[in-house]
Order: sequence, then structure tokens, then C-alpha cells
Amino acid sequence: MRHFLVMTVFAILASAVFGAVAKDTTKERFVYGVKVFAEFMLIGLVLGWILYFIPM
Amino acid sequence: MKTEELDLAKSETASVEVREPTPPAAWLVGIAAWFFPGAGHLLERKWGRAIVMGGAVWLCFVLGLTMGGHMFDLSTGQGSSAILQVPPMIANLGTGILYLVCWLMGVGFADDPQQAARATFEYGNTFLLIAGLLNYLTMLDAFDIAAGRKP
Repeated sequence: MRHFLVMTVFAILASAVFGAVAKDTTKERFVYGVKVFAEFMLIGLVLGWILYFIPM
Repeated sequence: MKTEELDLAKSETASVEVREPTPPAAWLVGIAAWFFPGAGHLLERKWGRAIVMGGAVWLCFVLGLTMGGHMFDLSTGQGSSAILQVPPMIANLGTGILYLVCWLMGVGFADDPQQAARATFEYGNTFLLIAGLLNYLTMLDAFDIAAGRKP
């Protein structure tokens, strides 16, 4: 649970900055930030499951 | 023949970009933004951006330290060469005064086995690195706004 929480916090912070830097209007920035956040989470979960099946 | 030359000259003139010189204030804003995360946007009175971007950098840094991460400097740790310390050090250095204060006080540079044994050690390292890199982005954004290249 802690790993997921840390990943979520990381995704929130990074996507907030990415969203603020990109695009022109506030709405576009917000939408872009949410998109980046969703991508971070999705890719993190996919990678996590891939690594789960790879033996150490 | 002359018409062709004229056309060519016109097209060359049209393709030349007119570059306005960067105002000196933009460099100062850029330096302030690097030195104190969020200060660049505060100077530009972009309060929302200052809170979101500066706040993200500060929070990322504090969380990184809290999780037991360590920052990099040129001292060699655990047999690695000094050159290998440079890229992560550049990333850490992005946090400006936060890195400098920690370096002067000797806080957050321990990478002994006891520190590395913490479950969140690597998370902390990543948060500290990302804090610096995010502040570089923040700095460039503040610079672009001050230079008039961004609204």
C-alpha cells in the first residue's frame, strides 16, 4: 500500500508541474495535467504487473 | 532573370527570423526561479503557478528528505568514481537554495548502509532528483514568461 501511495504522490506532483508548464489556457492545463497523472498511474501499474511475473 | 533574382531575394528576406533580444530582467527572474523554487513566478505575480509549481518542488524535496533519500555531491561514495556523481548532482542542484543549505549543513548526504536499509531510501532519492528536475522546468517557464515568449 505504501508503494502505491508513494507512486500516487509522485504522479500528482510531477503532473501538476507538467500541466502548469504546458498549453495555453487554464482548462487545457488542467486537462493535460489529469491526462499526465492518469498516464503515470497506468504505466506504473502495468510495469508493476510485468515485473511481478519476472522471477528475481 | 532579374525577376527570378528579385523573387529569391524576397523569399530569403521573408524566411529570416526576427529575434528580439532577451530582456536582462528575464535572466534575473530565471536565476531567482532556480535559486528559490517558486520565486520566479512570484516576481511575475503569477500566484497560481507559483503555488502549484513552487509548492510541488518544495513538497517533493521535503518528502524526499523525510523518506531518507540522499543527495549527490562530488565526493565518491562506495567506490564509485566522481564522474558518476555528476549527473545526479546536476539534478539535485536544480533545487537551488534547498540543496545548498542541506550541503552546508550536511543534511541529506548520508548514504551509509544503515540509511540505505530504509524501505523508502530509493523513493527518497527519486523524489530528491525529481524535485531538482521539476525546478529546472519551473525555471524555464518563468524565464519564458519574463522574456515575453509565453503568456
